[in-house]
Amino acid sequence: MSDTAAAHEAPTSTGIDHKKLIMWLFLASDCMFFGTLISTHLLYRKLFPAGFTDAEGHQRFIQDLFSIELTSFSTFILLMSSFLMALAVSAMHKGQIKSFRRNVLGVIIFGLIFLGCQVFEFTHFYHKGLTIQNSVLGSTFYVLTGTHGTHVAIGVLWLILLYFYSFTGKLGGHMGALDVEVAGLYWHFVDIVWIIIFTAVYLVEYLGPYGIWGSGLPAVVK
Amino acid sequence: MSHDTHHAPVACKTELAPERSDLGLYRPDRATGWTDWLTTVDHKKIGILYGAFAMLYFLIGGVEALAIRTQLARPDNDFVTARMYNQLFTMHGTTMIFLGVMPFSYAPLSGTFGANGQALRFTGVGTDFWIIGIQILGIASLAASFNFICTIINMRAKGMTMMRLPVFTWMTLVTAVLIILAFPAITVALIELMFDRSFGANFFNPSAGGQPVLWQHLFWIFGHPEVYILVLPAMGIVSEVLPTFTGKSLFGYPIIVFSGAVIGFLGFAVWSHHMFTTGLGPVPTAAFSLLTMAIAVPTGVKIFNWLGTIWGGRIRFTPPMVLALGFIWMFMCGGFSGVMHSSAPADSQQQDSYFVIAHFHYVLVGGVLLGLLSGLYFWFPKIFGRMPNAPLGYLGSALVILGFNLAFGPMHYLGLAGQPRRTHTYHAGNGWETWNLVATYGAYMLGIGIVIIFGNLAWTAFRGKKCGNDPWDGRTLEWSLPSPVPEYNFAQAPVIATRDAYFEHKHGSKKIGAESDGGEAGVHMPSQSWMPLLASTGFLFAGFGMPMMAMGVPHAGWVVIAGLAVLFLGIWLWALEGPGGYMLKTPAPSGAPAPAETAAH
Repeated sequence: MSDTAAAHEAPTSTGIDHKKLIMWLFLASDCMFFGTLISTHLLYRKLFPAGFTDAEGHQRFIQDLFSIELTSFSTFILLMSSFLMALAVSAMHKGQIKSFRRNVLGVIIFGLIFLGCQVFEFTHFYHKGLTIQNSVLGSTFYVLTGTHGTHVAIGVLWLILLYFYSFTGKLGGHMGALDVEVAGLYWHFVDIVWIIIFTAVYLVEYLGPYGIWGSGLPAVVK
Repeated sequence: MSHDTHHAPVACKTELAPERSDLGLYRPDRATGWTDWLTTVDHKKIGILYGAFAMLYFLIGGVEALAIRTQLARPDNDFVTARMYNQLFTMHGTTMIFLGVMPFSYAPLSGTFGANGQALRFTGVGTDFWIIGIQILGIASLAASFNFICTIINMRAKGMTMMRLPVFTWMTLVTAVLIILAFPAITVALIELMFDRSFGANFFNPSAGGQPVLWQHLFWIFGHPEVYILVLPAMGIVSEVLPTFTGKSLFGYPIIVFSGAVIGFLGFAVWSHHMFTTGLGPVPTAAFSLLTMAIAVPTGVKIFNWLGTIWGGRIRFTPPMVLALGFIWMFMCGGFSGVMHSSAPADSQQQDSYFVIAHFHYVLVGGVLLGLLSGLYFWFPKIFGRMPNAPLGYLGSALVILGFNLAFGPMHYLGLAGQPRRTHTYHAGNGWETWNLVATYGAYMLGIGIVIIFGNLAWTAFRGKKCGNDPWDGRTLEWSLPSPVPEYNFAQAPVIATRDAYFEHKHGSKKIGAESDGGEAGVHMPSQSWMPLLASTGFLFAGFGMPMMAMGVPHAGWVVIAGLAVLFLGIWLWALEGPGGYMLKTPAPSGAPAPAETAAH
């Protein structure tokens, strides 16, 4: 199916396939989307650097909440999933369907691990008292990271569909490689956005007066 | 090669057996009435759907406007309640911008969704429906924009370099870029608002530290580019209409294109001029003042280029030309009051007064609407092959331009005399009575003009006098095709050698060529599909369910889940269905793309 359609498709004016161009345009749009969410979070962090007040009325600090080890681990996993995605795209270009399946399965598993970490993190933070209702920090944090998690989940779903589709034998040739490459573009983008979120939302918190070079958290919190 | 049959040259689609998709289901056929309109992939039919829905919503928005003006005709009026008045002006703005003006060049099929946000605005959770409605419209606009950009830069005819594109196409491209970069801001703002209202988040909740001014920023980061999203297509239309009816090529084509791009770029850097009175501080206020003044430069350059185009031309005062000239004049007035606003001290006096209403209606009605009406009238003979009645066209145009000035001209005075906007009534004795009454008469005159123009067009679409393929002595490629344009557009892909290719083909030395490999195999046509309709139906139910879930309607959550499931199912099946397609043999297999007989002179 794909090959016959490709054979009749006129060459594009720019030489870039339509699907790939549309994915790039979508990613440009998505940049603005995440840009707005990240800006909202950072603006409120600047306004309320102290964190939030939990259900018992105690002042809590974000550094007290975060488990930087866990988030670093899930960030590493997502980074490695991007590496596997690149291998999957490369395999598809060479027509090595089995290698493609192996690598894409790896991406799916790594994506699921990342999502698992996020679910764990959300429940953990919730039990420590950060909710979407009790503070601006809770609102911006959950909506920003939750939106990113939704992007990862959609990506995982997409790759699962591609994985099973590859068994029908219809995923092949130039159009098949293009389909995989477009999914890959999306996946890499979601990964890059996470690197930015990890830096701007997590790592930067450790540079302030309560971070690693500061005097540490005030005693009342500990 | 499982689809050989569909790629075999055939004389007519109806001679084929019904086409099966990869799923084994029959695909809808273009020869079957209503099914065809619901599942069409023909951009010309989609364009007619845009146009028809836009006109419908335009009339609804117009009725809302007339209700507002009737309420304000005399002091202490009680035609509508204050609450009703608030709903009226909110929905007037929303209907006109998202459902009236944007689909005229944009937003396919989104009108059908927006209706639901609108019909239910009195339920008490009107805002929640409004949020979802705008959200769906935004997604539809994004999808349309990806499609437009890709089509414009990737599917040009041979020889159609970027600097030979018609200016209307160029401005559509800039508009689409603005949409994909500006809409995410409003999407995020609406998501945050939805979380505040439905899940108790604190983005804009002052009692928990949320900043309502953030909503204003996010809204205007989208909202100001939106102004250019609305006006750039109208500027493009005028740049096509003026050269046609002056018999001259557009003066300073590269400068016009570049100015359009600069306007689009600067459009992202001026949003805070809507917020001078919120207390931004001296540095941002000065910066946004300067940038706002700067945006008048490329706009002024365009005006001078249009004047240069008319200068020394043999002007034919057809109805579209009258509307286009009206556009230049009225849009300029709106631009002048805009420059007044760019000065922060002056703006702080005009903020939230009728002066602002006057300003943006001169831009959006005097500018955008006149431009769009001009384009509608201009391309109407191409779409339907019938020529609208000219006397009615002149009468409608005159009433629209006169009524518009009567309605909105006095508002400059009313605003400077202190009448506040968004207020459902006013007391006698402020000196506002006379001009409010005049404005109401003007609004009705404008309404009658619109009804005459739309009525004329609607009648023409079915019963109008048939006209040739090139009634205006057109300049661009579409006029070389039969009217109405056949489903395959060009029998053979044209090869372009110059700007204004068809005008040169008729009157100059540079002829339109044809690609040599087209003829025998026919034109590749895409297959139609039910799946987009299925997906959008799912979207509709999900959109309906979400505010109802917030209202506490039992089982509404399941409606949302079912709607989203249908949405994803539709997209998935659509992907699995494959592109399909068939070859259509065209009637003229050789030679140039058959220029119209009228071109022989």
